[in-house]
Amino acid sequence: MTEKKVTVPNRLGIHARPAALLVKAAAEYASDIHISFGGDRVNAKSIMGVMTLAACKGSELTIEADGPDEGEAVEALAAIVRDGFGEE
Amino acid sequence: MDSGRNDLSQRFDGTPGSPGIGIGPAFLLSVEELRISRRNLSGPGEVEKEIRRFDAALEDTREELRRLSKNVGDLIEGKQLVEIHMMLLDDPTIRRDVQDRIINDLVNAEYAVSQVLYEVLDRFSRMDDPYMRERAADVRDVGRRVMAQLMGSEREALLNLDHPVVLIGRDLDPSDTAGLDREKVQAFATDKGGRTSHTAILARSIGIPAVVGLREVAEYIQPGQTVIVDGIHGTVIIDPDDDQLRYYSELQERYRDTEENIARNATEPAVTEDGHKVELSANIEFSQEADQVRRYGGCGVGLFRTEFLKLLAPDGDDEETQYAAYRHVLETLSPEPVIIRTFDLGGDKFLSELEVSERNPFLGWRAIRVCQDRPELFEPQLRAILRASVLGNARLMIPMVTHVEQVVWIRKQLSSVADRLESEGHSVDRDMELGIMVETPAAALGIDLLLPYVDFVSLGTNDLTQYTLAVDRGSPYVANLFDPLHPTVLRQIDHVVRACHAAGKWVGICGQMAGDPLGVPLLLGFDLDELSVALTLIPDVKRMIRVMSMDGARDLASRALKLGSARRIRRLVLDFVIDRYPEVLLETVENGEEGE
Repeated sequence: MTEKKVTVPNRLGIHARPAALLVKAAAEYASDIHISFGGDRVNAKSIMGVMTLAACKGSELTIEADGPDEGEAVEALAAIVRDGFGEE
Repeated sequence: MDSGRNDLSQRFDGTPGSPGIGIGPAFLLSVEELRISRRNLSGPGEVEKEIRRFDAALEDTREELRRLSKNVGDLIEGKQLVEIHMMLLDDPTIRRDVQDRIINDLVNAEYAVSQVLYEVLDRFSRMDDPYMRERAADVRDVGRRVMAQLMGSEREALLNLDHPVVLIGRDLDPSDTAGLDREKVQAFATDKGGRTSHTAILARSIGIPAVVGLREVAEYIQPGQTVIVDGIHGTVIIDPDDDQLRYYSELQERYRDTEENIARNATEPAVTEDGHKVELSANIEFSQEADQVRRYGGCGVGLFRTEFLKLLAPDGDDEETQYAAYRHVLETLSPEPVIIRTFDLGGDKFLSELEVSERNPFLGWRAIRVCQDRPELFEPQLRAILRASVLGNARLMIPMVTHVEQVVWIRKQLSSVADRLESEGHSVDRDMELGIMVETPAAALGIDLLLPYVDFVSLGTNDLTQYTLAVDRGSPYVANLFDPLHPTVLRQIDHVVRACHAAGKWVGICGQMAGDPLGVPLLLGFDLDELSVALTLIPDVKRMIRVMSMDGARDLASRALKLGSARRIRRLVLDFVIDRYPEVLLETVENGEEGE
């Protein structure tokens, strides 16, 4: 299993569009991917899960993956978050 | 279960909306706002079937969203929205949650979806971020689409019925009922509505049995379940047993026999025993009702109410919508006359754009008074009527006239609109007869002042009674004082008829009194040229006319005019009626329909 912590940098946090970006990226990988924040742990391939994380600016997320491509998966998702979802 | 008895049959009582019996599989409308009923599954076979149904609904919804996505074109926002909806649809946790519920709780797919939706929506509603809280709307929207697929309630399906159905819904929208296949739809049953709701009026007008005001029937019915709708008693039965089915099938047949009997009698002329012919025509509200006028034995339309054309389609293309309606009625009934009454808005019939606050709406801004102030409302109506006037025997009637200037104004409007239409290349009937409704003491007592400007007159006895006696029959405190047989009302009717005949003009009546067993002999005796009543009352009124003599009716009317109170007049007429058609008296008591 691979794990990485990353902080949400954009002003609006993970609202619908960022959530969609994460879920789309997660769907590219075979591994099981989860995101944890504030005691919640959700399936990164579930838009509902990611949206209901309600992660605002400054939230520290833990991205973990388990499977054949876990390393790439965690890195790809972490990069999207670090990049502020291409906003601002 | 060899006796065929089914303990699961459920019975609901509502308001009879339209008479008749309809039996068939349920077709559910407007799933929005519906609470979904829970059905317990019997075993693994059913579980598998429910999961398959759920997957199929997801696939169909995906297809629907793809189509939608094409339609939003290049709108970035729209595309993103559809994309998010699509992802919600593909969400693995939701799919797993629904499947788990079907498998573990042994419930139908609709129920499982609704439960999962509630949980998700609840999670959204507890989020701090208002933006995210709003995403709940997206979830709800997708959920609704899936649910609609599951419940097979797509509008398209409704328009392409291949078997008979009973329509079930919270309420029927005009958009739901537009273009309905009358051959396939056996009955309506709705949670909302009363006798005068759109659903009930429409059902009566096109002759489909209906029960309305059932409150919560829609949430107990599954698509395809057998439903009996008894529009005579206002009862709905879901999953009837064999005995109930047999009973209601017989009732259905009996009712159809009566209907055929009515149709047979319809061809008899409306002539008294001593050979006096009475013009008997119909009050209608929807253009489709014109198709039924001849079947019921009417000879034209004495009152075509047009308010609904406006109330049902407040934003539509006025002129064209109305033209289509007038055209249909005129062409269907040509060469018989069709009296089109211009908008009687205000009073108790409001358009939201016209809503004003008045202490006495019935003494306020209504009917011709509104039309005079709102050319944007009235002109399209005059244009539509004038354009349709060449297609049949059209007559124009103005409600609530009290002042001569109002009639003069209408004449001017008519001729200038006609000029404009002709310059645009339309042909119009410049000789179309113009009449007024006499429904105020001002018009009745001043009929001689108005007659020079009009071709005919029609009495509206409900309003005439209300304004004469100063009684609002909607008020339980004074409703008992409301009586069209009051001497002062009868005197005005007599006065108006004499004045009209002296001036060589014809005079009819389109009020409720014309369909009242006690009203008919009096009106006949007063020499009214035309009686116009609700479609379904035509056969009854015709039967009354055929069993009395004109001499008897005239004698009755003149004796009534000498009596000093409504009560004594009522007793006099009652005796007259009991001698001649006691059975009609009993039957029509429950059948009273709104008139003017």
